[in-house]
Amino acid sequence: MNSRFELFVAMRHIKSRRRQTLLAVGAVTLAVAFTIISRASINGFEEVLLSIVFKMVPHVVISPKDGEDYIYLYRTLVESLQATSGVIAVSPMLISAATLSHEDGVQNVALCGTLPRELDRMSGIGSQSMLAGDLDSIQGGLRIVISKEVAEDLDLKLGDGLEASFPDAHSMNLVVCGIFDTGVEWDELAFVSLETAREFVGEGDVVTEIQVKLQDIYQADSLVARIRSQGYRADSWQRLFPEILRTIRLESVSNSLIMSLILIISAFGIANVMNMLVLEKTGEIGMLMSMGASSRQVLRLFLLESGILGLSGGLLGCLLGYVSSLYLNSLNLAFSSPAGQTINLPFLIGLQDLAAYLTFALILSLAAGLYPARRASRLDPIEAMRS
Amino acid sequence: MKHRIDEAGVWNNNHIIEIVNLFKVYRGGVDVKALDNINLVIEEGEFLAIVGPSGSGKSTLLNMIGLLDTPTSGKILLKGIDITQISADERARLRNRELGFVFQYHHLLPEFTALENVMMPMLIAGVKKEEARATALQFLEDVGLGDRINSRPNQLSGGQNQRVAVARALANHPSVVIGDELTGNLDTKTSDLIYDLLRKLNKKINQTFILVTHDTELAEKTDRILRIVDGKLVCEMRREGDRFVSTEVCQTAEAE
Repeated sequence: MNSRFELFVAMRHIKSRRRQTLLAVGAVTLAVAFTIISRASINGFEEVLLSIVFKMVPHVVISPKDGEDYIYLYRTLVESLQATSGVIAVSPMLISAATLSHEDGVQNVALCGTLPRELDRMSGIGSQSMLAGDLDSIQGGLRIVISKEVAEDLDLKLGDGLEASFPDAHSMNLVVCGIFDTGVEWDELAFVSLETAREFVGEGDVVTEIQVKLQDIYQADSLVARIRSQGYRADSWQRLFPEILRTIRLESVSNSLIMSLILIISAFGIANVMNMLVLEKTGEIGMLMSMGASSRQVLRLFLLESGILGLSGGLLGCLLGYVSSLYLNSLNLAFSSPAGQTINLPFLIGLQDLAAYLTFALILSLAAGLYPARRASRLDPIEAMRS
Repeated sequence: MKHRIDEAGVWNNNHIIEIVNLFKVYRGGVDVKALDNINLVIEEGEFLAIVGPSGSGKSTLLNMIGLLDTPTSGKILLKGIDITQISADERARLRNRELGFVFQYHHLLPEFTALENVMMPMLIAGVKKEEARATALQFLEDVGLGDRINSRPNQLSGGQNQRVAVARALANHPSVVIGDELTGNLDTKTSDLIYDLLRKLNKKINQTFILVTHDTELAEKTDRILRIVDGKLVCEMRREGDRFVSTEVCQTAEAE
């Protein structure tokens, strides 16, 4: 295909009609830049959301085999999991319901027997969330770490004693050796050592679940499949916390819709400029046709012109959007989360995002140019020259 | 390519255009015959004028010859090819290669220089830019504008623009150059200049010209005058030396 003639005329229109060119390219530039900045903030928001949540929740939870109350041979399973590449933490837990009482106060909690090191690697509770005391000290036996909410409800301080009891369980007196606050409502949790929990429920060396944390959260499904093949029940974070996925997806979808709309509106800028061009150039199009330009050449000329306008706007917009995102990212904009923590919102933009928006802008501008280009190509030369 | 075969069985190379029983009817409440049974042969190298009152159908005939309009019935043979039977693309290609147009208003592209305007038909044909530039330069020198090649249409006078338009019409070495009231917008002096230019080209490269005009002075400088009234060819005159001789058709029409 020889498009020298079409390119020659299209480029000259673009160069000599500065105001219209500026209008069309400017509209696309701003729309693409705005879209990219918005995408960058959404990417950043997702990253923050995922990092906050996945700092605290397990990625895979393994439960006992069907019909069993406990995982009996959990040590073998824990060892094989620890040997699996991509696994960051493996935390066996013996969880039982318990009633904690102190003076007149009573509070039901999930009493978790746990290994403090693994729990810390899983959720950061030991190293990041302790208000008082020390998570490791539960290993001393007959000690308990409770949440800030439980401590307030039962009026407990570090070193105070409480009684843990439950029907069918062995009541025991425990000393508060730590108080934690994760910022999320984990008020119904209390941690003891695995030995203390075994004593409480009166069982041997068993656990009720094993929590696993992964390097790559999307590895969860394959791990789940492997565990299930060994007869245990297992669920990934996607099933355990579906609301996380839903929030991210919803955010993504509504954002994409709004951004598409903005890009489509900017394409109307090109459609408008191209329409004006065809109207203004009707006589010249007639002359080009009488000189022998075929309707295909005329169509190509105007499509090429809107494509060039769209592509230039798209490229400039990508540049502006990318630079703005880098700048906004460098500002370390801080927001406070509902839980009171300060979160830095990063602006993240990938090459594939830029390529996608550039392609989208190009396709939209070609679509915007299609109607005026078709109209130009269907002009009758005699009628056109008379106008 | 189909060639016109004459009675002797040989394609007559000299017949650039042959029009046979050509009708153009505009349908409506009342049918209007814009062209009513036109028969005409135009030979290579002719310098011919079509005259007639406005609305007589002379521009319609010119548009037919120029492949810008299609007849209701009849044939137009351009170098032996029946142009009423070909596709839109082929018509565009023939307009580009075989025809050159000069209109009353020059219709130059305002964003392009004189040189680029003359290059345009060649670029449409797919000729390389450098080659087109060289040819265009030659034609602009031929029309006496070798020193204004980089001027835009708004920097040139009406006569100069019309000369650029003539150069553009010649760019692809067409078989026929068609002029529709090409001096209609110019003063007498400039009209004479354009006429001299066309006549020079007619003599020098045997270029065929068909001019539709109101201007009797211009018409009388050509070699053959066709008068059209109400879509009919009513009178034909040919130059013999310094005067015109009416043909039989004309005399019959005048006798009526």
